Amino acid sequence: MTINAVPDHVPPEMVRDFSLFTSPGMAPTPNGDPHAAVACVHAGPPIFYSPYNTRDGRGTWVITRAADQRRVLQDAETFSSHRSIFSSALGENWPMIPLELDPPAHGVFRSLLNPLLSPKRLVVLEPKVRERAITLILRIAASGTSCDVMKDFAFPFTVSIFLRLLGLPDHRLDTFVGWAKDLLHGDNVKRPAAARTIVAFIDELATKRRKEPVDDFMTFIVQAQVEGRRLTEEEVRGIGVLVFIAGLDTVAAAIGFGLAYLARNIKDQDLLRREPDRIVLAAEELLRAYPSVQIIRVATKDIDFEGAPIRKGDYVSCAAMIANRDPAEFECPNTVDLAREDNRHAAFGFGPHRCLGSHLARREIVIGLEEWLARIPAFRIQNATAPITSGGHLFGIENLILDWS
Amino acid sequence: MRIIVHKAKCQGHARCSAQAPDVFKLDDEGYILPGDIEVAEGEQLLASRGARSCPERALELDPTPAARVVPDAIEPRVWRA
Repeated sequence: MTINAVPDHVPPEMVRDFSLFTSPGMAPTPNGDPHAAVACVHAGPPIFYSPYNTRDGRGTWVITRAADQRRVLQDAETFSSHRSIFSSALGENWPMIPLELDPPAHGVFRSLLNPLLSPKRLVVLEPKVRERAITLILRIAASGTSCDVMKDFAFPFTVSIFLRLLGLPDHRLDTFVGWAKDLLHGDNVKRPAAARTIVAFIDELATKRRKEPVDDFMTFIVQAQVEGRRLTEEEVRGIGVLVFIAGLDTVAAAIGFGLAYLARNIKDQDLLRREPDRIVLAAEELLRAYPSVQIIRVATKDIDFEGAPIRKGDYVSCAAMIANRDPAEFECPNTVDLAREDNRHAAFGFGPHRCLGSHLARREIVIGLEEWLARIPAFRIQNATAPITSGGHLFGIENLILDWS
Repeated sequence: MRIIVHKAKCQGHARCSAQAPDVFKLDDEGYILPGDIEVAEGEQLLASRGARSCPERALELDPTPAARVVPDAIEPRVWRA
């Protein structure tokens, strides 16, 4: 890794020794709380420069206030999302679609995909989500009084929902999870290898569905039309890859952080179990307190932002975990209040790229909590174990061993 | 009470309709239908909660004079009478 120099146009006094990768609490930490660790930036200025704030060691501006993040993310003309995050791992530069397209092309593809994951559509998908949660939890309950929540529930649950959405068989679940793990958390050898495997898989699936259409997501994509034409192979791939990786880690992490909180806060756990109607609101608060994504944009032109000289090509970070702890936006931001109202958190981003899967993600989190609390008695973190949390481009939690003996 | 809908700001979070589905109607993609919303009495509490839940600040509360005379969610101050 190279040490990143601070660009000449960045005033030295605006540089801070902070990043989601290298600051205290960001490395894998037993019993860590990376979200609380990043909240310390609110003692400082609304914008500063972080010399090492991406996986590949690039510097970014860091926007701390929720209102400013909203301004940046709503302005896709000035702050572009085309970074080729995925294809750059292959030395290529095609966009994931619609995430890495800017308006107006973005809107065309977004409109195509919105109905597939709209609130209305979720009513149809919901029974299968619930059925899947119940099956997994019943199996866990029948096999003992403890489990590794991430391995035994959060990942199999969220990944299988997503595989069904794509029309892929459950028995390949472990394979897909392995690819995703290598891609999102692997080293410089595993990451491009996983990226290549995923591209080959998506291309092959698209070819298959072109020849033999069935009633699934990929068939819809290969048959779809935008502006009176079929999608190109690269567009189909851009959509397929995005959908493949977007649904894998994030929802599982949200469920994990949520259950870890409830395991440590028995009163809140009891309350939600006794009054499950509170879970919908509580899930929003858990999303606020424990989001997993840092969104990065690229400036398309020079702009002075709150006194910071952002120049064309600069990276601008809008980390949901930072916006969600903004005291100007949330009263007592570091306190989890499961009854919090008017909770306009940033877990799914702002602006035209608002998480396309947010409605599905919300239902998975709510249903996962509902069914878990209904079927598993008072649970705690197992003695002599410690969940391991990590920061970085996707905040996560592992080794979450719950015990209800 | 009236809710001013800034349609261009709506990004389909659908938090408003999660709070008050009868007040905030969405299209097939999950975005708010265009046009300001006249809120019926009895729906004002949920409607204002829905408006306040918009992450994009696309919904603006516009209390009409009538609504100001009889604000909902505030108990009559009997003790004063």
